[in-house]
Amino acid sequence: MSEALVRTVDLKRQYKRGKFPVPALNGVNLTVGKGEILGIIGPSGSGKTTLLNLIGGLDRPTKGTVYVDGVELDKLSDAELTDYRLRKVGFVFQFYNLIPTLNSVENVELPMAFAKVPAAEQRERALNLLEAVGLEARADHMPDELSGGEQQRVAVARALANHPSVVLADEPTGDLDSKSAKKLMEVMKSLRKEEHATFILVTHDPIVVAECNRVCAVRDGKITRESRIGEDGKILDSSRFVMDALF
Amino acid sequence: MSSMSIAIRNLRHRKMRTALTVSGIVVGVAMILVLLSLAAGTSTQTSGLLRNVVGSEITVVNSTTPSFSGGGFVFNGTFPGRGSGGGGGGFVTTFGAGNTINETLVNSIENMSGVFVASPQLSTSGYVDGGNVFLYGIDPSTYSQATSDLTITQGSDLSSNGQILLNSVTATNLGVTVGSQVTVGANSTGGAKYTVVGIYSSGSTFGPLARSGYIELSDAQNISGREGLVTEIYVKATDPSLVSQIASGIDSISGVTANVASTIASSATTLSNTMTTFFIVIGLVALLAGAFGVINTMMMSIGERTREIGTLRAIGATKGQVMKMFLSEAFLIGLIGAIVGVLIGIVVSFALPSLTGAAASSGARGLGGFIPGRLSPTLTSYNLVLSFALGSLVGIAAGVYPAFRASRMDPVEALRHV
Repeated sequence: MSEALVRTVDLKRQYKRGKFPVPALNGVNLTVGKGEILGIIGPSGSGKTTLLNLIGGLDRPTKGTVYVDGVELDKLSDAELTDYRLRKVGFVFQFYNLIPTLNSVENVELPMAFAKVPAAEQRERALNLLEAVGLEARADHMPDELSGGEQQRVAVARALANHPSVVLADEPTGDLDSKSAKKLMEVMKSLRKEEHATFILVTHDPIVVAECNRVCAVRDGKITRESRIGEDGKILDSSRFVMDALF
Repeated sequence: MSSMSIAIRNLRHRKMRTALTVSGIVVGVAMILVLLSLAAGTSTQTSGLLRNVVGSEITVVNSTTPSFSGGGFVFNGTFPGRGSGGGGGGFVTTFGAGNTINETLVNSIENMSGVFVASPQLSTSGYVDGGNVFLYGIDPSTYSQATSDLTITQGSDLSSNGQILLNSVTATNLGVTVGSQVTVGANSTGGAKYTVVGIYSSGSTFGPLARSGYIELSDAQNISGREGLVTEIYVKATDPSLVSQIASGIDSISGVTANVASTIASSATTLSNTMTTFFIVIGLVALLAGAFGVINTMMMSIGERTREIGTLRAIGATKGQVMKMFLSEAFLIGLIGAIVGVLIGIVVSFALPSLTGAAASSGARGLGGFIPGRLSPTLTSYNLVLSFALGSLVGIAAGVYPAFRASRMDPVEALRHV
């Protein structure tokens, strides 16, 4: 594994439900290397999304720390955390979450607009990214004119707009058919090389797991097991791993 | 992608809702503009009306002259002549000796801002065909504009020197009619020939004031030997609300005092102000309803777009950027509403007089034409700007709370929202 990009130390997160604290994460130690595609699997309510939100700076831990690219997120103010999300993180959601009133290229430009990148530069970068995800012909299409798989590829392009260190995807193929899911994973793999991006993917999908470099299983707020990697760098017996992790 | 262009996209995305929300502001702005114009029109009409009904608003006299008040013909003091046997002549002599002011003051007062007209009068005593009479020397071209004291019932107004108007009692006593020649002079024996050109009705049939006549100011000055002097200047303001300001301006001139028909002037001002306030309150209520429409739409929009807001925050939009996006939407709603509202308000203001014309004439006749039956709004640039500004401001103001709510959403919660 290459140098660590993301490191969590004894990460805990509790939610209050009425009077009772409900643990969502219960001491997670995780290291993600630069350029990795890491899969996180686990049953519903196991704390996967919470882990993603903590790494992405959307939420703050009850205890423990997250380091990303040498920065301790806990030390950042709310405004700094927003800037961290803008420049260091890219988010991909299960239901794409494109802005419905903006077309593909404008959706990709949006994070750059927030980062006050000059307009011409925004357009150039956005069109390049759309080309990289195979949607250059759909640049002026509105989200509701695109298929789910196409929307998700636009979302991936948007996530990469500001050259983030890490892309966090929460069930990116959860709403896609297997053909679209495979296409999406191909796109991510090629972008990982072109953009030197690191991906952390929360998933249930064996298609996704098969394309990861490494997979962690989360259960009851803890990492319970890690996948074995074969000599070719591929995960050994990914379907079996998913089955064991989920059931 | 500026927040403004995103706002435009969102408003166009839901055209029907935007149109309905905008129309709330349109109604408010149009109403404010029409009502402000009506208020302006009514206040113009009211002051015109009051100028007709009320005597002069200000009477300027020598500051050493005993107090004079009201419409220019009511004395505060007791009549020295009354009760002293056969004192008519004595009273007139006293009256005629009243302190004078320089005639040139008429011009300087007329040039003061807010002055509608200033008309001089020289009150003196004289003899008509040997009988003792009050003589008022006036400037016929301005007199009737400045006071309503004189109502000619037969004949016509003064048009040149050597003419006299007599009140009906005097004319009857002297046995003269319109066209008769009379001798007018400072004493019972001498004088010049004057032509009686008109007869006027007089308020009092008895007492010394009943015997009076009007002649040209220069004639009166000749008879009394007071060249270039007057005893009173009657002043009217263009607007009743300006009366007190003009009066204090006149008071600052040395040697004269401005007596204000104060109660009338101030109640006219109060009436006019009350109507304006009333109209503005109605308009503001309409605009307030529009504002609630904007708040409602914005809150609904934010509720629907919770996940979008969560997404924006997740991909790095600051609270300020989210706030700006929603404020821009509210501002645009207000701006469009203000533009359309002002246009509709202008159209309605122009259409109102002809729409209300028929009902007006019958109402006006019954009240001697004094009461404005026809609605005639007056569009002023001030009111145009005011209603436009109010509309745009209401949009922003109504957007503040929803935009604030949007910017404070917890992104994690918002993203979980279905």
